[in-house]
Amino acid sequence: MVLVIFGVVTLTFFVVRLVPGDPARLMEPPGTPESIIQTVRQQIGTDRPIPVQYVDFLSGLVRGDLGKSFRGGRPVAESVAKALPNTLLLGLVSMVVATVLSVLTGIAAALRPNSWIDRAVLVVVSVAQSTPNFWLGVMLVLIFAIEFQWFPAIDMAGPASFVLPGATLVVTLFPLLVRTVRQSLLDSLGEDYVRAARARGLPEHRVLLVHVMKVAAVPLITLVGLQAGFVLGGAVVVESIFNWPGIGNLALKAIQDRDFPMIQGTVLVIAGVFTLINVVVDLTYAALDPRIRY
Amino acid sequence: MDHQQEELLRKLGAGQISRRQFLYTASLLGLSAGLAEPIAACSTGPQGGGPTGSVRFLVAESFWANWHPYLHTAQVQRRLEQQIFDHLVEIESNDFSKYSPGLAKSWKQVDDTTLEVTLQQGVKFHKGQEFTADDVKASIELATGASAETEKMSTAGRFVPTTVEVVDKHTARLKTKTPFAPLLNELSILPILSSADIKSGTAALKAAPNGTGPFKVTTDEKDKKSMQAFSGYWRGSPKIKTLVWEFIQDSQTRLNALLAGQAQAIDRVPPEQIQVIKGSSHVSMISATGLENVNLWMRQDPPAPWDNPKVREAVAWSIDREALVKNLVGGASEVAKSLLPNHAAFAVPQSPSYTFDPEKAKAALSAAGVTQTPEFVLWGTTGFLPRSREVVEAIADSLQKTGFRPKVTITDVAAIIDALFGKDRTNGLMFHLSWSSTGDPHSALSLLYHSPGAWSGAHDPKIDDWLDRGAATQQSDARAKIYGDLQQYLWKMVPHIPLYNSDFTIAHSKNLTGIRALSNFMTYFYPASMGG
Repeated sequence: MVLVIFGVVTLTFFVVRLVPGDPARLMEPPGTPESIIQTVRQQIGTDRPIPVQYVDFLSGLVRGDLGKSFRGGRPVAESVAKALPNTLLLGLVSMVVATVLSVLTGIAAALRPNSWIDRAVLVVVSVAQSTPNFWLGVMLVLIFAIEFQWFPAIDMAGPASFVLPGATLVVTLFPLLVRTVRQSLLDSLGEDYVRAARARGLPEHRVLLVHVMKVAAVPLITLVGLQAGFVLGGAVVVESIFNWPGIGNLALKAIQDRDFPMIQGTVLVIAGVFTLINVVVDLTYAALDPRIRY
Repeated sequence: MDHQQEELLRKLGAGQISRRQFLYTASLLGLSAGLAEPIAACSTGPQGGGPTGSVRFLVAESFWANWHPYLHTAQVQRRLEQQIFDHLVEIESNDFSKYSPGLAKSWKQVDDTTLEVTLQQGVKFHKGQEFTADDVKASIELATGASAETEKMSTAGRFVPTTVEVVDKHTARLKTKTPFAPLLNELSILPILSSADIKSGTAALKAAPNGTGPFKVTTDEKDKKSMQAFSGYWRGSPKIKTLVWEFIQDSQTRLNALLAGQAQAIDRVPPEQIQVIKGSSHVSMISATGLENVNLWMRQDPPAPWDNPKVREAVAWSIDREALVKNLVGGASEVAKSLLPNHAAFAVPQSPSYTFDPEKAKAALSAAGVTQTPEFVLWGTTGFLPRSREVVEAIADSLQKTGFRPKVTITDVAAIIDALFGKDRTNGLMFHLSWSSTGDPHSALSLLYHSPGAWSGAHDPKIDDWLDRGAATQQSDARAKIYGDLQQYLWKMVPHIPLYNSDFTIAHSKNLTGIRALSNFMTYFYPASMGG
């Protein structure tokens, strides 16, 4: 885990410095003499050789210091700490809703394969999968925030404000999850242990919820772990549409400003959270399937 | 407003619940966003008669990294400063030759190089210091480069060094080294700082603003500047209690917020949104042709091809500017008729009017001795100038028809600025930057074309001479002649390819009355007010 995060932050550190765009030049008006630009570089530390900057960055990291933003000099850790819970909360709400909906819909479809319910689910899944989230977000705002005025159009301002960005993320997450649930259930329902359970006279709901779901949940949990990465990284678009004060928005603006410390800080935290979620997912496998040991 | 909201507000007004309880309950009901205004209104009380209401203004450009008003040329920051600082004189309409009293109650030209100003009395800075002639002296000497301050001020390029003699507490004499005709125009956008703050040094000025303007900053976040009415404002307290300027890059998000009532004003409305706004019953617009030239920028200091004026002319003959304005940019934008904005003082429409003419483009290339046009990058960005990607693609298409070989690269601002102004700059053309001015040719042209520091990188002594003489000449007729000659020369030399003057459209809630926006992009929230 530490190695993965180390790799990500190292890669980010060097990539942002190789991409064209001098942060010092961006902080001064066009036509500013080179001597002034050089002074700004000295102030923000980008005049030093890149390896020196890297060692400085790593030593700060060890001390828990993510540095200060080039823009205004605020501590990066402070900005990240403010933005991260907002993204996590939106992500968590969306993941929970998407997972519950997917499980219910997936069960309904898998229990009656090729029925009208199954076909309707597949149609909905196809439509949802081919709907771009930037378009969907705007449409939801136009209908539910502007036309009906039921929910806020932008900002994180109370529980109601979670509905539209959450719905946008849920529609994006839903198709893959529901397909996985349906397919896992279909595979499991044909297994010998299910026939054996039914033969023992167990009620159908017990067969389904205790025996089948436990096995079918393994791929679902893998997917939820992977989708968490999408929610963290892909939240940029949704956060931009809804002006959500999350880490995606923070990272996007940092990239535009070439605010190196802020980019490094946001990527580090996103990588850390993503890795942590996947560790939890791996540990969950063992709880669900006794054959898996670490 | 639904029943729950009404009931909550009734209880709050009757004192049956505290503001804390009110906010908690409203939050639980998910109503807090929609109730921001009523909360603000309730907080002053019905009998208070003080400022009421909140205004949230969403802007399209990110704010400058610090608060030092003399160290940047960013338009949005200057507009923000307009709410916080005052100026010696003000421009109140789109007639940029008329000045109204600001911190200067009156003024008179004593001789060619001396302007005496009599200052308003009873003016206070937000931090409580009294405004005096010492503040005018410290501010002007710092901003114009006349003081011993070592850091180069961006404002200094607009002025000639100007010293200030303090006659008494409320009278000052501004003395320029040479006669300086645009002095009043420049003073109209020069924020006056406190001499005590200036003595504290550059770091203090960068950290926090302290002006005499109608609003004072309460919360300073990178993309959000929250202000509240300055009750001690010398012209009378603002009617708006809370004013928030917030950067939201996406124009659709800005529009959504306005239409949903979460913002009261939005900036830089793109043409495709104008019909939507016209169709809304609770939103209005203010439109003007901006004093802002949008050009295709290039450097002339790396070698070929842009150091040759005939090649630049060929580019000018390769672009259908009318079509760009009519079909893409729209609004109140106009084809540029000069390198001076069309509505600036002394602007004269130039001829020939460059339009798409492949034969003339080829003739210009032939006159330049160019047989094989080089490949170059046509840089563009998205997000700030309306329909920038489409404009860049249309320009590339036109250029290809006359034999140029542009390669379109759409990237972000940082990369594009580096490509044109950085050490390893390329020989590309760039569509992104625009330059807005205050209506005087000096502010419109000197920073762009006077060497050293001209954006083109060129050093043309003829241009420098015209600009110097234009600034030093007081008589209007003589200035008109100088700037007429300069415009003709610039049009012939095409140091940048003129495209259009921007559309400047602000949309605002109809409840917000009295907001003003001028074609120099200044946007005034004083003495505007929020209705119910």
